[in-house]
Amino acid sequence: MNTQMIISVMSSDRPGIVADVSGAIFALGGDIADLNQSVLRGYLTMILMVNFDRPITPKTIIETIAAVQSSTTLDVMAREISKQPDIEDISLPAKTYIMTARGRNRKGLVHGVSAFCRRHDINILDLATTMADDRYTMVLQLDLSRVSSIVQVREQLMTLREETGLTIMLQHHDLFKVTNEIPF
Amino acid sequence: MLRSDQILATVEMIQKEHLDVRTVTMGINLLDCRGDTPTKTGALIMERIADRAGKFVTTCDFVSRKLGVPVVNKRIAITPISFVAGGYSPAEFVILAKALDEAAKAVGVDILGGFSAQVEKGMTDTDQAFLQSLPEALAVTERVCASINIGSSQKGINMDALAMVGHIVKDIAYESRTQNGFGAAKFVVFCNQPGDNPFMAGAIHGVEEAETVLNVGVSGPGVIARALERLIAARQSEGAPLSLDEIAEEIKQTTFRVTRCGELVGRQVSEMLGVSFGAVDLSLAPTPKVGDSVGEILHILGVDAIGAPGSTAIIALLNDAVKKGGIFAAKTVGGLSGAFIPVMEDAVLAEAVGKDELSLEKLEAMTSVCSVGLDMVAIPGSVDGDTIGAIIADEMAVGLINHKTTAVRIIPVPGMEAGDYVDFGGLFGASPVMAVRNVGKSSRFVKWGGRLPAPIHSFKN
Repeated sequence: MNTQMIISVMSSDRPGIVADVSGAIFALGGDIADLNQSVLRGYLTMILMVNFDRPITPKTIIETIAAVQSSTTLDVMAREISKQPDIEDISLPAKTYIMTARGRNRKGLVHGVSAFCRRHDINILDLATTMADDRYTMVLQLDLSRVSSIVQVREQLMTLREETGLTIMLQHHDLFKVTNEIPF
Repeated sequence: MLRSDQILATVEMIQKEHLDVRTVTMGINLLDCRGDTPTKTGALIMERIADRAGKFVTTCDFVSRKLGVPVVNKRIAITPISFVAGGYSPAEFVILAKALDEAAKAVGVDILGGFSAQVEKGMTDTDQAFLQSLPEALAVTERVCASINIGSSQKGINMDALAMVGHIVKDIAYESRTQNGFGAAKFVVFCNQPGDNPFMAGAIHGVEEAETVLNVGVSGPGVIARALERLIAARQSEGAPLSLDEIAEEIKQTTFRVTRCGELVGRQVSEMLGVSFGAVDLSLAPTPKVGDSVGEILHILGVDAIGAPGSTAIIALLNDAVKKGGIFAAKTVGGLSGAFIPVMEDAVLAEAVGKDELSLEKLEAMTSVCSVGLDMVAIPGSVDGDTIGAIIADEMAVGLINHKTTAVRIIPVPGMEAGDYVDFGGLFGASPVMAVRNVGKSSRFVKWGGRLPAPIHSFKN
């Protein structure tokens, strides 16, 4: 019986974390299907989807990875997923938009923007923020599939701009694809 | 996901650097719109335009809002009207002009082009009637733009038509004298006029085109100016050298992005309307807005006065780099495709006229290496028709020999002299009136008539 696990690992960044984690998974007989890792201000976080061709518990995985000889602490979580991922459905939805929000940093900006998305049933597919010289920049990839009126969202954005003092722009993802990618 | 810096660069282009799609222009065939009477023909034309373009503006606005890119102008180009109005008198042409004005208004379009004729080899009686109708037609209508093709590299220049046109330009300006001769800003004289140019006032729906076609004009002098400033500043802060070929490369890459936006918008609008997509016109079209100027790029690239030695060379580099960057970005390219230097529509060029830096002669030299020609040039109202004809002849000759489009849109402002200031407002802009030297000294040449022969197509030195 196959088991599919979603595993997340967090640690102070250093060379060799991916090698250590993938080594432990290999030792358990796991096959890494998807992996995504990111480093933010010296901290690494990694999310993996792993297939095992035998029954295995999250506890075994966590203990095996945690037992790896490491100069940093590896915080591990694992969870079994029951539903097979729909491989056909990995492309971006047709109503994928990019929102950029920039302004002076203060508390609650991410919450203000993300709460706006929630109110309008907009799913955040990807989000990256940076701060430089007290200027805060958010770039969000959004799925507006459940939004019926883009005009209304744009109107509401005006209010959000006033409330947060952020400069907010919303454009279709296609625009960024065509200006930055060469089709092949 | 795309990188944040790529996303922010694109956002910056739209938000601060005037990146927009300058015009989406729908070309409509009118060849079969012919009724028993001119009034009936006018009604058929209005019906045709309403049918094809009824949803045009709302669709452009929808796509603009959806993508988050401004589409500044929505325009219509029609089959050159003289092909539709065979046998009509000047007064009957005016009836059609009024019908076109009404039709444009009804579908919410600010400018309609194609009140035009093609006479590069000879003029029919209809073409003559068309020319005679222009002063009144352009005075009584608001949205109609007229043009005439009087030369081509295949046929030469029709000097009989040219001699008439010099005087017609004066008459058009005089008929609209209460608006400082604004009528002449709606009339362009061409050599090698393209049938798929989306930019006004010279847009037509060429007879070689399909029923309905959508052409897109991209722009973005502001985007290029800011990209060049960033590049120059970055190199200066690093203390690193920068050369012209690197500058040309930056222009190419920036134009690529700008053009891709136009292509995206055009294809989506044409798909929604079920209309075939024609071409993207890769032009750098300035507007009177600060920061949206071709003249500014000349300053950035090293001449302290527009028209100073070096100006023509810079325009040549700019024009070529825009084409090279754009051609790779668009599936089909057409129209004028190059840098425009319309004096009144470009605040920096207009300022150069006021400072006496830019003369008509230097402007003519600059047009020999770019599109489109002597565009939106205000001259004293006292300049005679023969001299205007000769100015047009010189510009036509530049296009004729170089196998390129050239055009003249010149406004002899009634009652104004060199240095006076004329302002048409909006996109048509403003500038001081430019001096014309050697007025009244070309009449013998203009009066020859006949044809200025087409150039030989080999031995191109």
